[in-house]
Amino acid sequence: MGRRWQCLEFGCGVTISAASDEELVAAVNEHVREAHSSYELEEVVLANAEDEPDPPQPRDAMMGDR
Amino acid sequence: MTTFSELRPVESRFRLDPEIMAGAIYRKYEKATRKIWNAKLLDYEQDAADWARLTEPQRMGIATITVRFEAGEQEVTNELGPMLAAAHALGRFDWVMFISTFMLEEARHSEFFTLWHARVPQLLTPAEKAGYWPAREHTVDPLGRFAAGEPVYEGLPRYGRQLSAAVESGDETVIERAFVQFATLYCVWVEGVLTMPSYEIVIDTTELWDALPTLRQGFRNILGDEGRHITFGTEACRILIAKNPEYEALAHGVIDEYRGNAIGMLEYQRNVPGLDLQKYQRQKVRHYLNRCREMGVTADQSLVEQILDPELDFVVGVEAG
Repeated sequence: MGRRWQCLEFGCGVTISAASDEELVAAVNEHVREAHSSYELEEVVLANAEDEPDPPQPRDAMMGDR
Repeated sequence: MTTFSELRPVESRFRLDPEIMAGAIYRKYEKATRKIWNAKLLDYEQDAADWARLTEPQRMGIATITVRFEAGEQEVTNELGPMLAAAHALGRFDWVMFISTFMLEEARHSEFFTLWHARVPQLLTPAEKAGYWPAREHTVDPLGRFAAGEPVYEGLPRYGRQLSAAVESGDETVIERAFVQFATLYCVWVEGVLTMPSYEIVIDTTELWDALPTLRQGFRNILGDEGRHITFGTEACRILIAKNPEYEALAHGVIDEYRGNAIGMLEYQRNVPGLDLQKYQRQKVRHYLNRCREMGVTADQSLVEQILDPELDFVVGVEAG
């Protein structure tokens, strides 16, 4: 299951997604460094990360179309 | 005759089980045991050579931060005892395990700054270090609306005494309330918001000057440890607030008590030449909102607005009153 994290820098709100915690920490820090000239601590990223919702299954999508 | 097993059933003597070992706080303990570093093994020679070529304003800017850190790390090492006792009283063995690493790390941070001061600027005595310490009373809101307190040197001992008294009372609710207040002040507000700009200032500045690599490495090592401390405090508060939502108001109350410390950069954070202070001020908002998200509490939007308000700021060097 993928992981995601939302940036709470004022005026930002970008959501970063990754396949694992390790990749999420790297991706978050790339964003925070480039967008805000800062960094985010690994433990802080992990504490604020959440699981990506499951993608809709084909059957659900069909039912949603009705 | 009562047997020892009747006094203390054998099953009650085992505390660590797979459920605890799968939890977030045990994981922090386990990570702390893997991330041990030794301040004595760092090389201070390049920093000493760099120090010799820095200008006096550059030296003053760095040393006003590092002396605060040395004393602050010693203060928090000394004030963590009540938190450990409270974790024990609440029967939370994973918290006890983690806090044992927390105390060790604060002690190591104290040692790092003492060594760095001895080997780089050669500040050895309390009097020499005090010479780089601008008084908190010199941080003044010119409009008189906010005052900057001393949460480390006044607040932590006071909330620590309250937590110790709560532990003595043996009342679980009283202990939990005092724990939320102590953890909010220490882990959430001091470590998790107010001090964060200082790390960035030192890392940014030493990179910009291409100087003091060991100081920068020490700050990075400390930040790794602090990430666990901060998120331990917020996780413990989240657990207790989820158990009793009335505790959320206690967390906001402690932050509100030291709200003034966040509305501008403090005297010791403003001394490094050439800093974009507004950048660090903006980042306090991110740190505060992260802490609220971690604790599962609603952020105080008026505090966010005050931190960001460019018309609210401190001036330094004016005698209070």
